[in-house]
Amino acid sequence: MAPRNRDDNFMDVDSDSDISLLGDVERRGKGKGKGKAADKRKKDKGKAKAKEQAYTWEASYTRSWDTVQEDEAGSLQGAVEDLMARGRRRRLLAPAAAIRRTIIRHLVLLLDLSAAMMDRDMRPTRFDLMLQYAREFVVEWFDQNPLGQIGVVGMRAGIGERIGEMSGNPQDVLKCLSDRTRLEPTGEPSLQNAIEMARSSMSHLPTHSSREILIIFGSLTTCDPGNIHDTLDACVKNKIRISVVALAAEMKISRDLCDKTGGQFGVAMNEGHFKDILFELVPPPAQRAVARAGGPGANPAADLMMMGFPTRLPDSSPPSLCACHSDMKTEGFLCPRCMAKVCDVPTDCDICGLMIVSSPHLARSYHHLFPVKPYETVTSMEGESETTPACHACARIFSTSASTAAASEGISLWGRYRCPDCHNDFCTECDVFVHDVIHCCPGCGK
Amino acid sequence: MEKASHLSVIIDLSPTQWHLSAQTSNQYPLSIETFLSQLLAFLNAHIASKHENSLVIFGALPGKSVLLYSSTELLSDDVPSLDANSYLPFKLVDSAVVQRIMNEFDAIGELEEEPPCALVGAVTKALCYINRITHPSSTTAGVAEDPSIVHDPRILILSVSPDLSSSYIPIMNAIFSAQKLALTIDVCKVYGPDTVFLQQAAHLTNGSYIYLERRDALLQYLIMSFLSPTSIRKILAVPKQDKIDFRAACFCHKNIVDIGFVCSVCLSSTHYLLLSCDLAVFCQPLPVCSTCRLATLVP
Ligand SMILES: [Zn+2]
Ligand SMILES: [Zn+2]
Ligand SMILES: [Zn+2]
Ligand SMILES: [Zn+2]
Ligand SMILES: [Zn+2]
Ligand SMILES: [Zn+2]
Repeated sequence: MAPRNRDDNFMDVDSDSDISLLGDVERRGKGKGKGKAADKRKKDKGKAKAKEQAYTWEASYTRSWDTVQEDEAGSLQGAVEDLMARGRRRRLLAPAAAIRRTIIRHLVLLLDLSAAMMDRDMRPTRFDLMLQYAREFVVEWFDQNPLGQIGVVGMRAGIGERIGEMSGNPQDVLKCLSDRTRLEPTGEPSLQNAIEMARSSMSHLPTHSSREILIIFGSLTTCDPGNIHDTLDACVKNKIRISVVALAAEMKISRDLCDKTGGQFGVAMNEGHFKDILFELVPPPAQRAVARAGGPGANPAADLMMMGFPTRLPDSSPPSLCACHSDMKTEGFLCPRCMAKVCDVPTDCDICGLMIVSSPHLARSYHHLFPVKPYETVTSMEGESETTPACHACARIFSTSASTAAASEGISLWGRYRCPDCHNDFCTECDVFVHDVIHCCPGCGK
Repeated sequence: MEKASHLSVIIDLSPTQWHLSAQTSNQYPLSIETFLSQLLAFLNAHIASKHENSLVIFGALPGKSVLLYSSTELLSDDVPSLDANSYLPFKLVDSAVVQRIMNEFDAIGELEEEPPCALVGAVTKALCYINRITHPSSTTAGVAEDPSIVHDPRILILSVSPDLSSSYIPIMNAIFSAQKLALTIDVCKVYGPDTVFLQQAAHLTNGSYIYLERRDALLQYLIMSFLSPTSIRKILAVPKQDKIDFRAACFCHKNIVDIGFVCSVCLSSTHYLLLSCDLAVFCQPLPVCSTCRLATLVP
C-alpha cells in the first residue's frame, strides 16, 4: 500500500503527462508504423510526434509551465480549471451503466530483458525505466485488483525465465522486480518461449478468473524455436488476453497477439506516454459481450463461490500452532467454518478448503460496481431561491460572483457541482475527490 | 519539536441511543450532558496542547450530518460574550458545539420513526475536509493554509449506534480513502454493542478501537488513548484492540455474515442461508445474483 503514490495519481492533473492525454488517441492511430524494421522506429515516431521532433531524445523537456497560459489578469486560475474540466469530461464520457468486469485477475508480466533494452532513447535506459514503471504498476494494480495475482517472466538469451511465481502479495512481486543486477539484460528475446512459459503457469487456474499476459517489449526481433502462431492459437483457446506495450515500434506479430486475444496494443512515444499506456491496463477489463451469447444463466463462467470471513486474533492472544506451517504464533486468522488458525489471508483453509478472505479485501473492488453519479455543473445561479454558502462536504465558502474565466463545457463559473440525488452543492476539489477516491457522495451517504 | 496535528471528531448523536445510555439501569449510566462536558474538556486539551492544532467537529444526526465546529471557519457571527474566567478559544468551541447540538435536537422534534444516523455522511465530510486542508488547491492560494502545518491528520469517531449494515460499502470506501490520505481513524465505542465495521476501520488505518468499559471514566479514556498524535503513540503503547471481526454484510438481506456466497462475476456477497443441513433446498436465497443478474446460484 503506497498512499502517497495513489494520491499523486489522482492529484496530478497538472503534470505534463496529463496534458498530452487528449492527443494520445489520434497519435496512436497514426502510430501504425509501416516499412522496414531498420527505419521503422524513426518513421513511427516521426509520424506520431509533431513534425518538429523526430526522437524523444531530440525533444527538449516538455515544460509544464510553458503549456499553461495565463489569462488577461495574469492569473493561472483559468488554466488550472481547464485541466480540472478535462478530468471531469473524461469521467463523464465513461458509460453510466455498470459494466461487467472481471475482478479476480491473474496476470503474468512478461519483461523484455534482451540487449535492446539497454537502449538509451528513454532516460536513463529503457531497462531502468521499465523496472521503475513496472514497480509502480504492480502497486497500483494490487490496489485496484486486491484479489488478483501477478507472476513475472523474463525474456533473455533466447529463453523464457521465471522471475517470480504467481503471488497475491504485492511485496513478493516487488521484491523480484527490485534486484536490478539479477535482471541484467542480455541476448535476444524469444516471445514464443516466454509466452509458453506464462501460459503453462496459468493453465491450472479456475474458470472464473481472468488470465492475462502483459508484455513490455523493447526489441524488434524475436527468435522462436517453432511457429509462434501455434502459440497464439493456444492462447486464444485458453482465453488468455495478451497486451503489449512496445517501446521501439509496432511489429506485426505483437499487434496480432493483441488483436486476436482481445488485448490492448500500444507503442510508447516517450517516457510519459509509456507510463500512460501501461497504467491504462490497471483497471479490470470490461468483459466483452461474447460471454452473453448463451443468455443469463447459461454462462458457465458466472457461478457463486463460497467464501469465509475470518476473525483476526490480536498480538496479545495466547500462542498456538497454525494450520498452515505448524508454527507457534500469537497472531493469526480463524477460519469461520472449522476454526483452524491460518497465518495470512486471502488463502484456502488448509483444513476445510474454504476460501478465506478478509472482507475489506473484497470491498475494495466494490466501487467498480457502484460508481457515484457524476455531479451536474451549476451553470446559472438564477432562479435559485436559497443557496448554501459553503461546500456541503468540506465547508469551503463558495465565491458569490461568477469566475471571469472563459466559460467552457463541464466547468461551473460559480465553482459549484450538484449531486443529482441529494441536490447538495460541492466544490471542484471535493467533486474530483468524491468521484476518484471516496466513491461515496457525502450528501447521500451512499 | 512536535508538529501541529489535525483532529476531526465525529459525534454520533442518535437521540434513541443516548436516551438508552442515560438509563439508570445501566451499570454506568452516561447522559449526553455528562458526555459533552467530558468531551469538551478533551477537545480543549487538544487545542491547548499546541497553538496550531486544528479541530473540526461533525455530528451524525438521524438522516443527516452537520458541521458543528471548524477552527478554520467561524460558522456563526455571534461571538459569545467573554467573561473574565474563560479562555476565548475554549469558549468558542464549547459554545458553538453545545449551541448547535441543541439547535439540531430541537429541529428533530417528534418523529414517528427515527431514521438511522448519517455516520457515513459525517465520515466522508471529514475526509473531504482533510483532503482540502492537506491538498490546498491553487484556486484558493492566498488563504492562510500552509500545507506544511497540517500534519498527522486523525479522525476520532465517538460511536453509540450499532452497525448499520447498509453502510458497509461506503464505510469500506471511506477506509480506503483514509489509507490513501495516510490518516488514522480512532474509534471510541461509548455505548452499545461492538461495531464490526468501525473495528475494521480502526484496524486498517492503524488506529485504536476502544470499547468503553467504565463509562464514568470517559475523559480518562479519551486523554490516555486519543490525545497523543500517532507519531508519539509508538512510545506510549496506546491500547489498540482485541479481536477483529472481518465479517461482511450480505447484499440481499443486509445481514452480517461470516460465510457467504460470492458471485464470481461481481463479487457481491450473498447471504449464506443455513436453515437446514439440506443445502440443496435452503441454500438458494436468490435465483440470480442480485447485483449483476448474470450469475445463477446452482448449489
Ligand atoms: Zn502458518
Ligand atoms: Zn476451515
Ligand atoms: Zn468542498
Ligand atoms: Zn448526493
Ligand atoms: Zn454478480
Ligand atoms: Zn442475505
